[in-house]
Parts: sequence; structure tokens; C-alpha cells
Amino acid sequence: MDSIDTTLFAKVRPVLAAALKVDAAEITPALQFGDLPQWDSMGHMEVMVSLETELGIPITPETITGLTSVEAICQHLAGNGHA
Amino acid sequence: MPEHRLDLAPAVTIPPHLVGQVQSKLAYVDELIASADVAESGDRITLALHAAAGARAAEIEEKVQRVVREMAQGSIAPKVEILEDHLARPTSYSADPLDELLARGEVYEESTGIFTFGPLMSRLIAYFESRFLELAAHFDAQPYRFPTLMSAKFLDRVDYFRAFPHSLTFATHLREDLDIINQFAETAKYEGKGLNSPAEFFSQVEAMLSPAVCYHLYFSLADHPLPNGQLVATAVGTCFRYESNNLTSLERLWNFTMREVIFVGSKDFVLEHREQSRQFMHRIFEELGLAYQVETANDPFFVGEFRKQAAFQNAFQLKYEIRARLPFKESTLAIGSYNYHQDFFGRHLGITLPDGKPIHTGCTAFGLERVAHAFLAQHGLDPARWPAAVREALS
Repeated sequence: MDSIDTTLFAKVRPVLAAALKVDAAEITPALQFGDLPQWDSMGHMEVMVSLETELGIPITPETITGLTSVEAICQHLAGNGHA
Repeated sequence: MPEHRLDLAPAVTIPPHLVGQVQSKLAYVDELIASADVAESGDRITLALHAAAGARAAEIEEKVQRVVREMAQGSIAPKVEILEDHLARPTSYSADPLDELLARGEVYEESTGIFTFGPLMSRLIAYFESRFLELAAHFDAQPYRFPTLMSAKFLDRVDYFRAFPHSLTFATHLREDLDIINQFAETAKYEGKGLNSPAEFFSQVEAMLSPAVCYHLYFSLADHPLPNGQLVATAVGTCFRYESNNLTSLERLWNFTMREVIFVGSKDFVLEHREQSRQFMHRIFEELGLAYQVETANDPFFVGEFRKQAAFQNAFQLKYEIRARLPFKESTLAIGSYNYHQDFFGRHLGITLPDGKPIHTGCTAFGLERVAHAFLAQHGLDPARWPAAVREALS
């Protein structure tokens, strides 16, 4: 796993924690879809809605299938000018 | 009989990919809606309302707008992929076969969405099922027999009530109470649209009529590791999905039959078998002379769940529908599907692989009455005009 930008991780962590209704400590840089019972198919769509609302990431078939890990979400944000 | 029409401008313009989905959901908005039509442009809804709806028109409109907003606001456009396109395959019939089937006494509508089939449909259905059993044999699928009733407890465990509450059919019985049973025996009558007996006569609902076949297999495997880590099974079952005023013709039956081939194992095992199913069935459908296509699709989730669940299912290509052409109405009808559930059932039911991870599941399912209906819609009722494979098998 590539190292994750700590600034971006700090942005993503509370968004995912709120979407999945878990403690922020459970959102680790290595976390992926399926690692937590809450990050199942419905949880994933809650994540997508929160990413759209809080961080401006559009919901498309590509983002739904692509953003299935904390690392992928951070990389997406980095590639779209977030710091 | 509908008394009047209500024309509405939807609160949000309904995008083309949702027109059919919204229209089908409007049937569940209010019992006073006899039928609903959403214009293809998505900017007009026409309701046919039963008598007595006039005083409640504003309430009905508010509920309709709620459905529109929940389904269409911020909707996520699906990426439709067509995996096979054989819609141009030649067909020889262009009428609705139901009219002739009814006239010949081959089909009898016992009640809304409940049909009895005579020798022609029965032989066709048996023949098509025999062809689908070739797929099961190809995988050496183990035969199973499942009940028609399904445990409400297990359906709750797999979140069915949240996803598909509208289509459930409940099984109940009279409460164990001598007075109630006697009172029922003396007073029960069918009046209007159903029995006149009060709801308190009936037991709590412990069971449903099965909405799907493969669920029974997953329930039987619950809370244990899967022996050998993989399984291919096959079963036929009667399924029930209530579709309100969408229960029309032979296209949507309340009570129908599905033959399924079911895959349980690792992700790779399930996905490989799903793809092999599609390739195997390609040859069978060609022999049947069926005009069809296979495309990505989603299940008919209810209003509140639709936006997210359908988007997830579509994005991950979890469902491929086999859609047969209906020449008499220039549209298509889903006659089967190739499905992948990821590890949904493994997680919810505690079924694990030898390494402790949740199992993945998938199934290939065929709606037998719909296959027969689509075949007759394309080739008619005269066996002389049927494709050779079918004609020779049934002669």
C-alpha cells in the first residue's frame, strides 16, 4: 500500500466514521469495503452519499466501484486537487 | 371502475431510466389508484382513481410526489451494458398470445395474477425446464427441494423487509382459539375484494410465501462453515411477488415458478460459474429460436432503498437480465437472470469458507411461465411454425 497523505486521511476519516456510524478510531488507512460489518453494500452507498455531500465526489458507477478503500478515496481526492 | 383522472407535474422531472421504475411503484401509493402512467418524457403523471378518491386527491398527490422525489432526486444514472444482443433473431408471430390462449381454454385467470395453465403451456414449461436442467447437469448441480413457505425470521436476517416490503405475500392461519375458529366457520364470507373476517382472528406472521428459490439454500447453510467450501445446487420452486395493479397479462404473475442453478463458494468460483452459465445458455436459447438480449439490470427495490441499492447493484454488475422480445408490444420481458450477491448472504447468515471468510453466492434463474409466454409471443401457438428443436421435442 502506498503511503496515504495524512492531511487527506484526516479529512476522510470523520466522513467515513459518520457514514458508517462507527468510532473514528476504526477508520484506519488500510480499511477496505467489507472489513467492517457496517461497510457492506448499504454502508458503501452511505459512504458514497457522504463523500458527495461532504467532499464533492460525484456518485457514478466508476466512483462506486473504484472508491472501495480509504486509500482509494484519498488517492481520488489527491488526483482531484484536494490537499 | 376508475371514476376520474388526476394529471400531475412531478416535483422532479423523472429521468428516462426511472420512468418504468417510478410507474410501477405508484401502484403502491394508495389503494384508490387504479392505474398510473408516467409519460416517457418524465414530466407528466396520469393517475386513474377509483371512486371516493376525490376528497383525498391532495393526499394522494402528496404521496406520489414523495415517491418521485425519493426515487428521482439525485438519481444515479446506470451504466447499461449489453452482453448479448439477439433481439433481431427472426420471429413469426406478432399478436398477444394471451387472447388465443384464453379463447382456447389453455389459460384460465383464477384471480388477479393467478393463472391456471392447460396442456399446451404445461408441456412447453416442462420442455423449457428440461433445457434449463441441462445447465444444472453441466455443473453436476445437486438437486434440492424447498418449501413454498419461507421463514419470516430468516427473511428478516437478510434485510428483505427493508428492500422489498411491497411485494411480500404473508402466510397466516387462524389463532388457536376455539371461539375464533367457530366464529370464523360460521361467519366467513368472501365480500368485495376479500374475506370479511377481522384481522384479530389471524395469527402473527411467522412465514411468508417464498419470493425466491435460492434463499432457502442459504438459510439451510446458515451459521456454519460450508463443507468443502463450494456447492452447486439446483431447485425449482413456486415464488410469490405481489405487484398490485402491475399484475397484468402473463408478464407479471403473483404466483410463478422459477428454476434456479445456485452457486456458493469463493468470489472467483461464483463469478466463473455465472459466466459459464451465460455462455452455456447462449446455445440453448439459440436452439429455442428466442429473440433476446442480456443486459445489466437491477432488482425492483422499494422507494426508500431504490436509489442507493440499484446504483450499487448496477455499478458492480451484480445482475444480468435475459430480456426476451415481445413483438406484439415492441418491448422486452425479463425471463431470467444471472446474479451475483457478493458475500451478502455469507455475512448476514454466518456462512463461511474454510479460511473463515464469508462465502459468496450467485444464481442463474429462469421464470418458467415468462419463458413460455415470450416463446409463444414470438412464435405463436401453431407448432408447425415453431423452431425445429421445440417442434420435434413436443410432437
